[in-house]
Amino acid sequence: MGKPDPDKKHWLISQSELESWLDGIANARTLIAPRLEAGLLLYRPVTKSDEIAWNRQLPRSSPSGRPVLSVKEIFFPPTEVLFSIKKTGQEIHLAESFPDWETVVFGVRPCDAHGVKLLDALFLDTNPVDSFYARRRENTTLIGLTCQSLESTCFCTSVGGAPDDAHDVDIMLIETDEGFLVEAVTEKGRFLIPGGEWKETTVTHRSSNYAAQFPVPDKDNWPEHFNDDYWSKISERCLSCRACAYVCPTCRCFAVRDETISPGEFERIRCWDACAGENYRRVAGGHKPRAEKGERLRNRFYCKFYYYPEQYGLGTASACTGCGRCIEVCPAGVDITEVLIDLEKPA
Amino acid sequence: MNENPMLPYLGKLVEVRDLASEIKLFRVEMLNGGGEAFKSFQPGQFAFVSAFGLGEAPFGIANSCGRGPTVDFAVARLGSVTTGLHELGEGDMVGVRGPLGNWFPMKKFKGKNLIVLGGGIGGAPLRPVIQHVLDHRADFGTLTILWAARHPSLLVFTEEYNEWRAAPDTYLHLTVDNPDEKWDQNVGLITQLLEKVTPSPENSVTITCGPPIMIHFVTKMLQEKLGFNPKNNYVTLEARMHCGMGKCGRCNLGEKLICVDGPVFNMEEVGGLLETYL
Repeated sequence: MGKPDPDKKHWLISQSELESWLDGIANARTLIAPRLEAGLLLYRPVTKSDEIAWNRQLPRSSPSGRPVLSVKEIFFPPTEVLFSIKKTGQEIHLAESFPDWETVVFGVRPCDAHGVKLLDALFLDTNPVDSFYARRRENTTLIGLTCQSLESTCFCTSVGGAPDDAHDVDIMLIETDEGFLVEAVTEKGRFLIPGGEWKETTVTHRSSNYAAQFPVPDKDNWPEHFNDDYWSKISERCLSCRACAYVCPTCRCFAVRDETISPGEFERIRCWDACAGENYRRVAGGHKPRAEKGERLRNRFYCKFYYYPEQYGLGTASACTGCGRCIEVCPAGVDITEVLIDLEKPA
Repeated sequence: MNENPMLPYLGKLVEVRDLASEIKLFRVEMLNGGGEAFKSFQPGQFAFVSAFGLGEAPFGIANSCGRGPTVDFAVARLGSVTTGLHELGEGDMVGVRGPLGNWFPMKKFKGKNLIVLGGGIGGAPLRPVIQHVLDHRADFGTLTILWAARHPSLLVFTEEYNEWRAAPDTYLHLTVDNPDEKWDQNVGLITQLLEKVTPSPENSVTITCGPPIMIHFVTKMLQEKLGFNPKNNYVTLEARMHCGMGKCGRCNLGEKLICVDGPVFNMEEVGGLLETYL
């Protein structure tokens, strides 16, 4: 899957053509691209293309060009104001504002683009539509870039992805020895391509056939393992720190609360939350379901491979993109690939 | 619906009164568009109520639509939002977002005997069921209410017991764990009361709401001792959900989401999952 369609138009452009194109985009809209910030590769706004961390300049911490955080935060920010509240005596005034800037994200890795697609299933395709996510999604164009290599924690090929998967972006760029091969994948992407300026090419991307690194259990095989002792064993090392969920392109649990801005002025915000957290399920009065770490970690894995696909109609696909960030970031060595491999082993 | 489904309607508190110790009843008159949204809510549905500046929390709607035009909520003072609500009085504004979730299939219950089991504040989402049955009394068989609380001061809707008892074919059984000196009704857990009342599963459905552990033991007894088919044991579940629309992910029970697949379930649907709810 994920190979550019040979019937679609392709262009071959040089690094300098690419840079001047991106500079033009940055002049007219918000351009977000992988950029080094305090030594970390992050998707961040850039004003000029020379602020972008190009594939050949990647830090040792991100050899493949996979930023530390996924593009999730562009569509679903860590904290978001849902509306503001003004209280004057008994009067209440509520005011909303929606994001409306046009954004182009350059250098999106295929796993991250797929993560956005998986979030669409929840925020866009399941009623009611999330107005904040929908606005951002509508006003954002994704320019994908193939990964030059797989990192040791990458496993996109085991969950249906590939380092050159073009399915979920608007424009795909493939870095070759001759330059960048450009493919307009969607109408939205086509709109950004400068008409006659670029050299069309008949060269298309020779799809590399990536094999799955390991087999992932079928969705239907999950329920039978629900009561296994395995979950409490594997979670012994879990610190319930929730870092896995924050770096995950598809973890989307959130909390909603009111923040005080000044006396009588408040904002209702939503912010990221995660099911691994100890107080995630606590209710007023103190009742706390899923008190055990094993139950919480099990919920995280089941959400990726069984619950979320069931709840939001993913069919046989999982809600994991194989980006490997949760493995990279876990301070205790919890490894999702270890879980997947263990579950496939005969009992 | 608003473009932003997280934006509540405003509602004015037209009555606030004590229901029990630390439990108040809030009667809300819906304003600007909220009246239309709450025109035809169903027994068992819930809504989020905002104490502006402190947040919002989900509550089962405590009256039947037919007993409108207000939307009622019974709120126990337990956390920050509920404490904020308890500080409000008549004329104050709250936010209300809903109605949300599924409901008790009252049409399907027509002609059946209903056994309603409520524990503490869990009685709140059952009151619309009781009101609906009393208002359509001929449509249903007997109505047996088993109503429990830890202490007599925690029994909710006490001032309505006479109305319930006076209705034809309607029976109210009360029990408390810890009686006071004036208590002359049953003493013990709701399961002990259930064992004593022994409702027949014949042409009957049960509707239970209360603390998770009560739901667990009540439904277990209904099935194992009284011979009920789990699909005739309805429960309404709660979780500290934050959106109520299947987005925030907080209320899952296995692959089910309490907010959109529930809060009303029969035990055939959730029996195997209830363990993770306790």
